[in-house]
Amino acid sequence: MIALHHADMAEAFRYMGHRGTPDAALLEKAGRCEEKLLQQSVPRYLYRVQPIAFTPKGIAVEHTALLLPGEDIRAHLSGCDRVIVMCATLSVGADAAIRQAQAHDVLEGLMTDAIASALTEQLCDAAEAEILAALPGLHATWRFSPGYGDLPLSVQGALLDALGAGKHLGVTLSGSGMLIPTKSVTALIGLSPHSIPKGKRGCAVCSMREQCTYRKKGEHC
Amino acid sequence: MSFWQKDRFLILDGGMGTMLQDAGLPPGGVPETWNLEHPEVITGIHRAYVEAGAQVVYTNTFGCNRLKMARTGRTVQELTAAAIACARAAQPQYVALDLGPTGQLLAPTGTLSFEECYDVYREMIEAGRDADLIVLETMSDLLEVRAGVLAAREHGGGKPILVTMSFEENGRTFTGCEISAMALTLEGLGVDAVGVNCSLGPEELLPIVRELCRWTTLPVIVKPNAGLPDPVTGTYGVGPERFADCMEAFADMGAAVFGGCCGTTPAHIQALCKMLQKHTPKERAVHIPSAVCSASRTVTVTEPRIIGERINPTGKKRFKQALMEHDMDYILGQAIAQTEAGADILDVNVGLPQIDEREMMESAVRAIQSITDVPLQLDTTDPLALEAGLRIYDGKPIVNSVNGEEDSLSTVLPLVKKYGAAVVGLTLDKNGIPKTAQGRFEIAQRILARALSLGIRREDVFIDCLTLTASAEQEGVMETLTAVRRVREELGLHTVLGVSNISFGLPNRELVTRNFLTMALYAGLDLPIINPNTASMTAAVRTYKLLANFDKGAVEFIRHYGAEEPAQTAPAAAAGMTLKQAITAGLKSEAAQLTEAGLATCEPMELVNAELIPALDKAGAEFETGKMFLPQLLSAASAAQAAFEVIKAHLSEHSGETVSHGTIVLATVKGDIHDIGKNIVKILLENYGYEVVDLGKDVPYEAVVEATERTHAPLVGLSALMTTTLPSMERTIALLHERCPWCKTVVGGAVLTADYAARIGADFYAKDAKETVDVAKKIFGR
Repeated sequence: MIALHHADMAEAFRYMGHRGTPDAALLEKAGRCEEKLLQQSVPRYLYRVQPIAFTPKGIAVEHTALLLPGEDIRAHLSGCDRVIVMCATLSVGADAAIRQAQAHDVLEGLMTDAIASALTEQLCDAAEAEILAALPGLHATWRFSPGYGDLPLSVQGALLDALGAGKHLGVTLSGSGMLIPTKSVTALIGLSPHSIPKGKRGCAVCSMREQCTYRKKGEHC
Repeated sequence: MSFWQKDRFLILDGGMGTMLQDAGLPPGGVPETWNLEHPEVITGIHRAYVEAGAQVVYTNTFGCNRLKMARTGRTVQELTAAAIACARAAQPQYVALDLGPTGQLLAPTGTLSFEECYDVYREMIEAGRDADLIVLETMSDLLEVRAGVLAAREHGGGKPILVTMSFEENGRTFTGCEISAMALTLEGLGVDAVGVNCSLGPEELLPIVRELCRWTTLPVIVKPNAGLPDPVTGTYGVGPERFADCMEAFADMGAAVFGGCCGTTPAHIQALCKMLQKHTPKERAVHIPSAVCSASRTVTVTEPRIIGERINPTGKKRFKQALMEHDMDYILGQAIAQTEAGADILDVNVGLPQIDEREMMESAVRAIQSITDVPLQLDTTDPLALEAGLRIYDGKPIVNSVNGEEDSLSTVLPLVKKYGAAVVGLTLDKNGIPKTAQGRFEIAQRILARALSLGIRREDVFIDCLTLTASAEQEGVMETLTAVRRVREELGLHTVLGVSNISFGLPNRELVTRNFLTMALYAGLDLPIINPNTASMTAAVRTYKLLANFDKGAVEFIRHYGAEEPAQTAPAAAAGMTLKQAITAGLKSEAAQLTEAGLATCEPMELVNAELIPALDKAGAEFETGKMFLPQLLSAASAAQAAFEVIKAHLSEHSGETVSHGTIVLATVKGDIHDIGKNIVKILLENYGYEVVDLGKDVPYEAVVEATERTHAPLVGLSALMTTTLPSMERTIALLHERCPWCKTVVGGAVLTADYAARIGADFYAKDAKETVDVAKKIFGR
């Protein structure tokens, strides 16, 4: 399993809406939030590798009930013959740390939440690296998650089921379709024995492109 | 006949899901539907396990609850009845109704309420009335287990209840539940056997089962997977012989109930039975210490432990005001401060004649447990409030209190027994508090006898010999201490004592209280109820623990006091600074100090209008122009909040007035649990003197409307983070327009835009907290 020792603070401050270098007082406070968060989080991930079939209704992930509709995932997985289905989470401990920080004061709440988001991304990067290291000789796409482009969030349920994520990772879907624990990510990585074009990652395929505050300022996330 | 006999192992079945996949259950298929569609396959699997030696088969109902079965078009009742018929057809000795987790996480992490969770289990248990046993398995969340066990106790017709939870290699479940907490809580709730299943293979479960065996006198169940799954394919690799070999260690540890989980087959069970024939159940000599717990923290009473007394309105006007206003943040602030100061347990007393104590106890227990894992002591004289708290408490709490009066004994102790709590017995009865130690000792004996007769363990009875005020009854002080010593030594019970009372009416109260505390600890006091925020009191307990050789090697003492400068002076930072500057710089304690000082010469509202609000306006303007970012704005807001808290306390102490520029209802909409944005808005609005009715997160439409009707608030703020919960926002707005035509709505959240806000009928869109304040100023004219 992956051990996270430090959060990417520059990224965390960016999530907090901070530009430039934070002052010492903010950094110190963020450091305390990071420490508590790391103590309470139990980073975990789970994955399966399955063959895929391109069907008229979407990409079918074999041996599962997962069907991925939409043009964007089709383009993303083009040239691939199988897919890594993965889910990573900081666990309910991170949610508890965020709640505690919020009860303490609102800035600690904001900081802990942002640091947890940065850690989740780091966890996904580390998990991806570990998974790919276990699959030598294969070429991989970048991570594509439900909600990107036109891949609907409604596939989350089947994706979690395909992994047994409730039983094996403690990640569930709420009645309104949210991943719980909240600092959890699901993703799909295409695999191919042949080299594959990396594809565009960025605002063009992002479902948030219309309301994104980074994009409005000419930046990206 | 009892399902379990001391001299025989009980053999359970093995995996069902993995067997069904092998039998052709398609990916994504719902196993429970096969009870109706392929009953012969289900019975075949059960029969194979019975033939392999299983005495108990689990019905194929792991996920047979209404939340998961909704999409199948089948009812829980028909699927469960069919499952029991399939199991009976295999002619096992016992059919166990199998109940897995609901599949949704409970609040506060998730959105499922305790009550709905209870009802989901109730329905399954009633549908499974023809089974012989009830099993809850693969559980992770202790609160969910409690809901299931209570439903089984109250609707299961007296069937034995077996519970197994799934632990990870760190000795905790996914939701952080500890092994000791599971054992203490479930043995208290009266289940018939506890254990572990799934998650790991037999080898990895060894340390976990060893730990469990130390914490329970109940039969221990071990039902592991066939090893760990292959990460790529998810298949299990430990074969029957190896599985049986590994299981031998559990027989040696004294486990009594054996089976298999994912990846195990009839061959595994057969090998297991063969191995067990060489053994007989081992009797375990277990002594479980006095202990209480939350799901993730166990506190043993093997040394003095501090009970924090501050969550209590007695004599505190500000606390009373918070209760009247349902101001949960204030109560949580008290919980956090005491926990950080060193409280091991928190007393929770939220009774006030003017409020619904039952509802308040429930809300307070929920809220406090959402932000701290310190165990709680439920302090109330109202049996309804007590039961409400006990029902939803996630762990094993202390009940404060029962006394020697018959009324109290017959009301409180049965609740203590039913919910598996520990209890404080006050040494008083209808004649009042006996003057002598002997009188109090006798009442303690009576309370103990009654508790034991109801099956409450001796270790769970804590006696309070009652502190009298030294200024009024000086001769009584030593009587109390003598009673403490006798209860400790002669009855072998742990003792509780609220010590603050001792110094009432005397000068230098702290000195008197601290010395009495030390004397009481020496007399055998285990659970002092004190104000841990008073550093000298906490220090007295820590020093005692050092001197009495509890704190081995002075580790804790040095940790707390090793780096301390002996002569501490008050922070001088506030000197020469204005309140406005302190707020802009985000200095909380300085802002509070300067407000305190300012109140000596200024009217409270003058401070608000001349100092606080201009400082916030300045911060807000700098935020808007990009000179300041959200973290700095929030630093300022937190400092302003600290100043406001001083003003509020001052007002409630002196005039009973409140600061209010108007009332605003805030909520994160139904289905959404991301409430950070809403909380940021809240603090800023409060800073500007608005009274915020914060309904929290995942708030039903109706609740928003009801609060708006009740308060007649002119403005309602709604937040949603996810695209999936925007429809919830739209429905809330529609209902508000219909029922509260006077009120305006302002909405915000990451996925919202001004266009979308207009489309769903919101009156205002605010891109951040600062804009929400601007909207409020527009509505309220200030």
